[in-house]
Amino acid sequence: MEHQLETIGRNMFAIFGVMALCGAAFMVASKSAVHSVLGFLFAMLCVAGCFLSLDAEFLGMAQILVYAGGIVVLFLFVVMLVELSKFKEKGVFQLQTRSAVIAVIVGGVAFLAAFRNLLFGAASPEALVLRPELAQGLAVAQQNAQAVSRGLFSDFLLPFEILSVILLVALVGAVVLAKTERV
Amino acid sequence: MTAEMTLVHAATTAASQPGTLLWLIPFLPLFGFLLNGLSGRKLKSTKVVDFFALGSVGVAFLLTLYYFIQLAGLPAEGRSIHQSLWTWFDVGGARVLGGLTTYKIQWAYKFDVLSGCMALLVTGAGFLIHLFSTGYMAEERNDGRYYRFMAYLNLFVFSMLNLVLGANIMMMFLGWEGVGLCSYLLIGFYFEKEFAAVAGKKAFVTNRIGDFGFMIGFFLIFQIFGSLDYDTLMGSVRAVAHLPAITLYGHTASPTWWFNLIGCCLFVGAMGKSAQIPLYVWLPDAMAGPTPVSALIHAATMVTSGLYMITRMNFIYVNAPVALAVVLAFGSLTAFVAATMGLAQYDIKKVLAYSTVSQLGFMFMGMGAGAFSAGMFHVFTHAAFKASLFLGSGSVIAACHHEQDMRNMGGLKKLMPITAMSMILATFAISGIFPFSGFFSKDEILWKVFEGWYQHGHYTGPTLNLVAWILGMLGAACTAFYMTRLIAMTFYGEYRGAGHDPHGLSVPSEAHGHDDAHGDPHDDHGHDDHGHAAPSHAAAHGHAAPDSHGHGPTEVSWRMWLPVSILAGLAVVLGFLNYPESLHRILPIVPSELFSKWIEPLLYQVAPAHHGEHVPPAIEYGLMAWATLVWAPAAMLLAWWMYKVDPSWSRAKAFVARFPVLYRWVNAKYYVDEFYEAALIEPIKRFSAQLWSFDTWVVDGVVNGAARATLIWAGLMNWVDEYLVDGAVDLVEYFVQETSGVFRGLQTGRVQNYAFVMFLGFLVFAFWKFLV
Amino acid sequence: MVNLNTVLLISSILFAIGIAGVLVRRNALVILMSIELMLNAANLNFIAFARHSGSVSGQAFALLVMGFAAAEVAVGLALVVALYRKRDTVQVDDINLLKG
Repeated sequence: MEHQLETIGRNMFAIFGVMALCGAAFMVASKSAVHSVLGFLFAMLCVAGCFLSLDAEFLGMAQILVYAGGIVVLFLFVVMLVELSKFKEKGVFQLQTRSAVIAVIVGGVAFLAAFRNLLFGAASPEALVLRPELAQGLAVAQQNAQAVSRGLFSDFLLPFEILSVILLVALVGAVVLAKTERV
Repeated sequence: MTAEMTLVHAATTAASQPGTLLWLIPFLPLFGFLLNGLSGRKLKSTKVVDFFALGSVGVAFLLTLYYFIQLAGLPAEGRSIHQSLWTWFDVGGARVLGGLTTYKIQWAYKFDVLSGCMALLVTGAGFLIHLFSTGYMAEERNDGRYYRFMAYLNLFVFSMLNLVLGANIMMMFLGWEGVGLCSYLLIGFYFEKEFAAVAGKKAFVTNRIGDFGFMIGFFLIFQIFGSLDYDTLMGSVRAVAHLPAITLYGHTASPTWWFNLIGCCLFVGAMGKSAQIPLYVWLPDAMAGPTPVSALIHAATMVTSGLYMITRMNFIYVNAPVALAVVLAFGSLTAFVAATMGLAQYDIKKVLAYSTVSQLGFMFMGMGAGAFSAGMFHVFTHAAFKASLFLGSGSVIAACHHEQDMRNMGGLKKLMPITAMSMILATFAISGIFPFSGFFSKDEILWKVFEGWYQHGHYTGPTLNLVAWILGMLGAACTAFYMTRLIAMTFYGEYRGAGHDPHGLSVPSEAHGHDDAHGDPHDDHGHDDHGHAAPSHAAAHGHAAPDSHGHGPTEVSWRMWLPVSILAGLAVVLGFLNYPESLHRILPIVPSELFSKWIEPLLYQVAPAHHGEHVPPAIEYGLMAWATLVWAPAAMLLAWWMYKVDPSWSRAKAFVARFPVLYRWVNAKYYVDEFYEAALIEPIKRFSAQLWSFDTWVVDGVVNGAARATLIWAGLMNWVDEYLVDGAVDLVEYFVQETSGVFRGLQTGRVQNYAFVMFLGFLVFAFWKFLV
Repeated sequence: MVNLNTVLLISSILFAIGIAGVLVRRNALVILMSIELMLNAANLNFIAFARHSGSVSGQAFALLVMGFAAAEVAVGLALVVALYRKRDTVQVDDINLLKG
């Protein structure tokens, strides 16, 4: 029992990752938009789990907050708003579906082939561990959130500020785009 | 260097006394604000609002008094009570000069010699002004916005206390922005009136310009010192000042250079908040707010925050000679120019507003001359007499049915004796007549400025000091003149309002007041309703005195005259707290220089002060006597002669007729507002409009022009086509049609098809890159 | 312990699913969600390599990407809503104004 738990703990990332893939596949495949959103939500939560198992606690929490708390709700709102029921008869998938799926699979296989050394070669089982001698920014941090914020507010300060402007622009743009036109 | 700073910082945090109730001083008004702001609309009686608002500020005042007495009991070096509530935010890991900092910004309060005095001022004057407001804002009690006013006032007191009591620059900045916000809210309190809304906006925007400078300044401080705590900064400034050079942002310069830069940036902030040239323009417009607001924010407390900040940062300024010179130059210019602007105003509040700007200029002069304690002392005396004057003018305005034009007043001394006496005392104080408080504070400043040039008998100091001193003397004369003019026009002569106008001086009432007879449904005591019977506020608030005059204003209720007279009393006696050493020698009635000695631990000493016998030179006595016996009284008598002795003001009119251009410029405040409008605001608006029309004119123009050119070209080519090319074209067209049929299928118009092609292209690229 | 190859495999498959979603679905909402999937796959890689190299820059950047994703969703959904208002549809193949 204990051994099994340990195994699960060790493979936490793989478990979450596979679950995320399942969620994503369900999202793409399901006919109803509401089901798609639920699949998306599941995938996002699993990705958050992946983040957590990679010791990125802050990002995992941010992922849950931003996606589950914000974006999915937004999607659900829009799904409710646009009454999708009347589009059902037109079919879910594009005409190009078959060729597209083939192309994606071919691309994916080619990608894996290209990186086969990295993925399946000698170096692949190397575990991802934090190498302290590289962790310059972590010198004064005890927690992940502290470390991330130090990175964010020292090296990434300018991108961070630009991001804030972009968010503002997106906000204004969204309002302008989505508002009903009144005279 | 960082390590040593950290040590200093650790030491100061350890000195925090967590058991104290110091935090209640700022937080009580906050609670008052929350209670009133959240529940005020629901409350049945505005008495409850009064209770919360007055109670919170009153208790805060008592607490401040308690801590002040405690502070006075401590030894001079240890006069500081520190309370750290929680870590506000952690900026550790930020790159500053000398490595990574481990600094945490604390939500901490520091009650020391300076902030203690300021807190006393804020809560004390704040309480009196709250009390005054309960009388002044009486008619708002009925229309549901009374609670909003009181809540804003409480929020203001909270912000201001945060500003003065905060133990680091971030706390000060929080209060700094908070008072800016409250000022905006309160100036625009009658936001349904357009001029009030515009004035609020102007104040906010102008303050933001200043805040920008302030922010740059303290960012630089953080970059250099790695900390924002006053104690740490004070502790490490000497080490920093002795560094050979400081390199920031790729620029290497001496510490003095950086200190000068910081000083100038911080002064820009002070310019905005404390209304100095060129950012003073918001203050006169801010008079659109209710009068208690003018008194609280725009005379007594908020405008002094710039002075407070500079005194706090004196360790920067002492090491920054250029910044000090800038402060002195702008201060003296403001002191003079604003004083002249006050000469020709008729709106009673505008006169006081320009007077405030000018007095603030005096304070900055003191700071600029390096006499921080003299400047700070003028802050306190000025708070007393200017708050008294403003509240008095509020009483006058309320009694005259929201008439603000002095030409429609007059003769009020008989009708409102207590207000008149208080305001006259305050006028003596502001004019600098011995022994009123203004004499002690203003002449100390002027003397310090003069001393900078005079330098113990060698007239070798900077010429700037001499110029500043001359400007200051002229400004002082103007002050004495316009204040006497205000008193003479308002309280002497005969009442010119309500149809009485023996000399034809009154003018049609301008709608400056908020409740003027412009169809306001709440105007329950407007002129039309009551004719000239005109029951004043006093009558409306249960003041038992019968309306003996039948018409015209009467004395206001005790809630209004009491604060005015208390403040006037303070204005009379406050000066003795900083009794000059030189006078002490010949007239030892009180200990000398109490205030300067009190505040001394806060001031950075460049060199150890020598405590040798220092004989005040004869010239100090001479200037003192000259200023108080000849200079100011002469100006006052001139105003008296022009406006009181001659009730028809014919001498003033003759003067205006003689120099019409001068009068027009002064009356129009040198067209500064118009200049800003034309030189800054209009261009920005126009630039924005041009950016807006860039699209229509340039982008569309290119398209349209291309279209037109094409059209003409097409017209020209038409006949060529028809006869020459057609045959060839027909041939080509045939081929094109045949081939394009093949490609047309590709252009489906569906984005996803395009995306698919894009993806295929990517795949091809990837194959080529990685596999081939 | 997490191996690098696991992370890369999972993120690349997630990315492929995202691309497939963008290419095959008609519903604009699902397309937007698929784009989010791709961004998440990229984030996963960022974090994995941040772990690998021992610096927090990757995590900080992933956070920025998250912010951009939020902005993108806001604008995208606004576009969907505007589209629905104007043309009464959210099916992307109904919008073929580009067709020659």
